[in-house]
Amino acid sequence: MRVLDRTGEKLDLLTVNIGPSHPATHGSLRIICGLEGETIKAAVAEIGYLHRGFEKMVERGTYQQVMPYTDRLNYCSAILNNIAFSKAVESMFEIQITERCKVLRVLMSEFTRIVDHLICVAAALADLGAQTAYFYYFVPREDAMIILEKLTGARLTNSFSRIGGLYRDTYEGFETDVLDFLKKTEESLSDVFKLVDRNRIFLDRTQGIGCITPELAISYGWTGPCLRATGVDRDLRKDQPYFDYQTYDFDTIVGTRGDTYDRLMVRLFEAKESISIVRQAIKRLKPGPINVSDPRVSQPQHEFAYHDMEALINRFKLVYEGVRVPQGEHYDALEAANGELGFFITSDGTGNPWRIKVRPPCLTQFAAFHNLVEGGMVSDAIACLSSINIIAGELDR
Amino acid sequence: MIDQIIQMTLNLDMPQMSVLEWIITLGKFAFVFIPLAFIVVMIFMERKGASLIQDRLGPNRSALPVFGGLRFFGFVHNFTDGIKLFTKETFIPTYAHKVWYVVAPGIGFLVAFLTPAVIPWFAPLTWWTGDHISQVSGMIIDSDTGILLMFALSSLSIYGTAMSAWASNSKYALLGGMRATAMMISYEVSMGLSLMGIFLLAGSFNLQHIVAWQEAHVWGIFVQPVAFFVFLTSMIAETGRAPFDVAESESEIVAGYHLEYSAMRFGLFYMGEYAHIVIASIIIATLFLGGYAIPFVSTDLLRAHVDIALALCLGGLGTMIGGFHLMVRRWKKVYATMGAKDAGTRNREYSFLQFTSGVASPVVLALAVAVFFLLNPMAATTVDGTPIFPAWVSIAAAAVQVVVLIAKAFLFCWIWIWVRWTLPRFRYDQVMSLGWKILLNLALVNLVVTAIIAKLVTGVR
Repeated sequence: MRVLDRTGEKLDLLTVNIGPSHPATHGSLRIICGLEGETIKAAVAEIGYLHRGFEKMVERGTYQQVMPYTDRLNYCSAILNNIAFSKAVESMFEIQITERCKVLRVLMSEFTRIVDHLICVAAALADLGAQTAYFYYFVPREDAMIILEKLTGARLTNSFSRIGGLYRDTYEGFETDVLDFLKKTEESLSDVFKLVDRNRIFLDRTQGIGCITPELAISYGWTGPCLRATGVDRDLRKDQPYFDYQTYDFDTIVGTRGDTYDRLMVRLFEAKESISIVRQAIKRLKPGPINVSDPRVSQPQHEFAYHDMEALINRFKLVYEGVRVPQGEHYDALEAANGELGFFITSDGTGNPWRIKVRPPCLTQFAAFHNLVEGGMVSDAIACLSSINIIAGELDR
Repeated sequence: MIDQIIQMTLNLDMPQMSVLEWIITLGKFAFVFIPLAFIVVMIFMERKGASLIQDRLGPNRSALPVFGGLRFFGFVHNFTDGIKLFTKETFIPTYAHKVWYVVAPGIGFLVAFLTPAVIPWFAPLTWWTGDHISQVSGMIIDSDTGILLMFALSSLSIYGTAMSAWASNSKYALLGGMRATAMMISYEVSMGLSLMGIFLLAGSFNLQHIVAWQEAHVWGIFVQPVAFFVFLTSMIAETGRAPFDVAESESEIVAGYHLEYSAMRFGLFYMGEYAHIVIASIIIATLFLGGYAIPFVSTDLLRAHVDIALALCLGGLGTMIGGFHLMVRRWKKVYATMGAKDAGTRNREYSFLQFTSGVASPVVLALAVAVFFLLNPMAATTVDGTPIFPAWVSIAAAAVQVVVLIAKAFLFCWIWIWVRWTLPRFRYDQVMSLGWKILLNLALVNLVVTAIIAKLVTGVR
């Protein structure tokens, strides 16, 4: 790499590749650093090492077949991606999902948000050298995985949401399992908080490191916890409420300086808020149907399909041709664990999507990465990288 | 040639050494292997300590293929690790400097063999041979340079680090080597200075004298708490362990200076690190925790009642084995109720351990009782009011003292593990500023304050 200063003079720097295979990149991405001693004089963030052609792949299949692909976007909170996509398609249909489905979606959104934040903070602490905190978070996370396995049949890439409803209803004892998990999570959250709260080493490593101003963050299109850490109170759950989020009692957590410490602490406290939302959602969980009874999106029950010609045709058409989304272009987003996860869908009225563009929260954050690390040291770059929670799955798609 | 050396020694007006003296003097060289023996236990301790702190089980799968698989609670894992490291391909990167690359890992490891030479493992042995008093020092090299020699030797290990970093021709390794070199050199300053206070009090660089001073007065940790803190911190930094593991921080520069090493060459670095910790623990125990000395028991008192001391040591061992027996019995019951797939195999192992410890515990306890009643240390003669005992009493007391020193060293080994799994890692420049701006100043202030107080209390020295 050749680095020139402002006058065009060549700088004599040591170039170091952090990634694509590096313990701290948690996936494959690459940061090319020009070092002077240990100080990063210039950094270039490069993406594309986990590009799978998501947006092209999904055009081949029906809308229903997009669902499992979305699991692989942010694989730490797969169900949130499902919900985001089904919400986008539902809003094109302008259908209202059932009450139980709404509550369950809120419940699962917040549940996976907790898991996502746990993993992010755990990995960030592990990168800072605090291995023990990592294990403290992975104990409740394992419980969450067991619950998800019982609920969806998969541990990591679980597709639970469907267009117009959910894959299935909850299993018996789901509420108790979740409440147990919440209790354990609260314990481990406070355990780790006690470990890092007044830990001089942790504070020195994170405070004032990788600062970003709110203006710059907005200009890069930052969203979610990373934007909130800079002090901007922007949360789609509050600003554009969906799934009746306005009726839940929770706070948005806002930082002050937009540094690594703020980003991690915003996540930590947001997980606590999510715990309270899940508790409220469990209280609201009333028996009822989980799928809408709209023949355009939901399949008829087996007993109808086996005895009724029209129902059989409906079922056949829905499976083979997919849901026929009304023609038009539509953008819909929700607050995913990492920020605004949006789907821009262009439909030509058939069962196959004409074009789906994903707006991943990671991409905008990684685009601003060089601003965070230039002038810092190599260790700071690592602390920054894990605090903005880059998930290569949704970064490259 | 050996004849010549002996001849030279005799010509230097040294007293004639008896056969026993020769045996002990040469036998003392076995102490250089103590850090090596420690490593095996230390790695096990590290793994189990980490799993204890992190709420997990730790390694427990490797088994000896006898009695349906003896796991010894994961202890066998060390040996399978060793076999793996020995049988792996020893890879040399294409553009590495072959000679330096191969030599470098050995240096750090070699140092681990040299430093035990200046540690006093026991009080000087004195015994009555019938016509005169024989005396053998508790150190391998009884030199007045003492601890300075140790510092000089342990500083050599930085050559291994720097050479390996440079020779492996990797940027990450270079960064790691740079960090390690700068850090070790910086911390050596505050490390040396922090000890000046205790040298001042003891009036000697010789570790034997320092321990004797602590035995006669008070442990170093009580008179020099600041120095203890500074020295412990510097030593943790010197060994390059968390929170000071910037030189090999795996999340930043992958593995630092030993990034390009594989197989047993990596193993040498790994073992060198643990050996370094063991040495550091023994040094701290010697300087601040009275070394081989038992609190409130002087060496003379220990020798006069060596039968009780030996009996207590053996009794403690027997009790520990008995406790282990009870523990295994409880685990066996718990394991049976868990419904594990390998319940049969585990049951066999637990039965074996239960039987062995069940037999060993009463045997050792009986031995303790026998030692108490059968041994009787009688002073052979008295010189200047100090009783001089026969040789076996001195040797038995020395054995007890070695055990005491090792027990103290284990305490510090545990502190190393505890700190590693509790604290996050410093940044490189923060490590440097801690070393130069805080620890060095603390050490200097400590030295000045100690000097003033020592002057006021003891008068002119």
